[in-house]
Amino acid sequence: MVVKHAFKKLDEHLFEVPAEFRADMRVPARFYSDEELLKGIVSDNSLQQLINTATLPGVVKYALAMPDIHQGYGFPIGGVVATEFPDGIISPGGVGYDINCGVRLLATHLDHEEISPFVDDLATVLFTNCPSGVGKGGRIKLKAQELDQVLSKGARWAVKNGFGSEADLERTEESGCLGGANPEKVSPRAKDRGLKQVGTLGAGNHFIELDTVEKILDPEVAQRIGLFEGQIAVQIHCGSRGLGHQVCGDYVKRFQKSIARYGLHLPDRELVCAPLSSPEGQDYLAAMMAAANYAFANRQVLAFHIRRSFEQVLAGKVSNHHIFQIYDIAHNMAKVETHRIDGKDMRLCVHRKGATRAFGPGSPELPSVYQDIGQPVLVPGSMGTASWVLVGTRESMAQTFGSTCHGAGRTMSRKKARKSIRGMTLREELESRGILIRAGSMPGLAEEAPAAYKDVDRVVNVVDTAGIAKKVARLKPIAVIKG
Amino acid sequence: MGFEEIEHTADHAVKVYGKNLKELFISAAQGMTSLMLSDGSGVSGEVAKRVKLKAIDTESLLVEWLSELAYWAEAEMVVFSKYKIHTISATDIDASVMGTKVTALEKHIKAVTYHNLNIVETRKGLEATIVFDV
Repeated sequence: MVVKHAFKKLDEHLFEVPAEFRADMRVPARFYSDEELLKGIVSDNSLQQLINTATLPGVVKYALAMPDIHQGYGFPIGGVVATEFPDGIISPGGVGYDINCGVRLLATHLDHEEISPFVDDLATVLFTNCPSGVGKGGRIKLKAQELDQVLSKGARWAVKNGFGSEADLERTEESGCLGGANPEKVSPRAKDRGLKQVGTLGAGNHFIELDTVEKILDPEVAQRIGLFEGQIAVQIHCGSRGLGHQVCGDYVKRFQKSIARYGLHLPDRELVCAPLSSPEGQDYLAAMMAAANYAFANRQVLAFHIRRSFEQVLAGKVSNHHIFQIYDIAHNMAKVETHRIDGKDMRLCVHRKGATRAFGPGSPELPSVYQDIGQPVLVPGSMGTASWVLVGTRESMAQTFGSTCHGAGRTMSRKKARKSIRGMTLREELESRGILIRAGSMPGLAEEAPAAYKDVDRVVNVVDTAGIAKKVARLKPIAVIKG
Repeated sequence: MGFEEIEHTADHAVKVYGKNLKELFISAAQGMTSLMLSDGSGVSGEVAKRVKLKAIDTESLLVEWLSELAYWAEAEMVVFSKYKIHTISATDIDASVMGTKVTALEKHIKAVTYHNLNIVETRKGLEATIVFDV
């Protein structure tokens, strides 16, 4: 564990472990926090893991962590590390096993009052229509050639096959398709795992949630995005399923073999990496993009199932049951981006592991609808607490390679949560607060209890005050669907 | 031989013990199974698989061994309970594993990680701590 005197306070919410702290650090390690969150951060190995990332070859400026930082494996969750392109490294562990785990936010034309008689039915139908649980297959069984299309085209494949519209793509990070993906770099076993899982939620902390927009903090931006107070919205949180896990595992294994060849010395084997310019690095980047495309397609098909569920339960009973997309973001990804570093434009590979891209106004990567307001950032809270919609800022471009937080961040171990919280009791408690639960596993529900997470409002306050994202709207849940 | 679950904020970690490599690998498999299915009493052994693996070192072999078993849990919903290791060395394993098909798993093991993974010798034999991504 890293003791308090190891870091200094640079600003109200910004702390730094100087590069001199450990001989193998190449750059300082910075993290965003407040005094309360700090207590949790210093209580486990989060900072140790952050410092380890500051040793990676080619790391630029500083290794970063967002206020939802918590202990992971290799990189901390909430970590952001930018490396020089093309000579710095790329690390599969800096992306995580669930490649392009992310969040999609859909919005409706309905308010809470209009939908309330149907919420129970809607939750049940969503649970039925959106397959969830370990290894669960979906309704779509792909042939090998078609899977390659999913890996190459991402959400574009889904839209071409009738699972959404061009408007959805416009409001998806990278328009739902990373151009550098190469299905040939994905192993047969990874592909096999992907054949039946397009349009499935999975298990763990993944969910679909019906929300009410409880509060608007920035009326002008909220209106532009399409949010209003009292509105019903839907969040999807999931990623690339077994295919992504296999891609990461395959390349962690391959990189272990090449590490000596590149003369890399790392403090933890899970940080295993290869130069971006090496054959291993290039292959991983192309395979990771393919898995990321699978995740974009997965969330696109889930959005289709959600629309179908709304149609099934609400058509003819409410004024307008149609759904439109606000945005879709990735929070486990490495991307080659251009950033202004010390007055010069630099190509960087930005690893975001449990961190969200938060590009500010004017960024050429943003769709025209969001060009002047900045990129919407979707921050799901823990089950039963609030979620947030933020936008990226010019400050996030200057301070954090255009990145911000991704969620509440865990604070209690799963073991402890399972021991101290009973799934059934939690479900009753949430339902008494007006939050319906449809879950496949009660012990799984207990592990995701709100008490196991940090206070998402506090996390969001830190990024808002530090200027690395700006609050737009706060959502509160009315129904949660989990595997 | 044996295993115990230890605290980890975001994921799951299991400490495993064995007098020798064979026992260590079986303990690790049992530890992972206990995460997937806390009550394994219904697991018999009608599904059998042969697992032959080669790796660059023993820690990698342990990761690959557990990854292989976790793969079958996801792909075919098979949970293993009996392990017969025919041969094992620092870099090779040849084993027969027996298990049963289940209808649901309590825990999805997304991956077996290398995080701080070291097989260490103790007075009693060998031990290692394995972190699973869930």
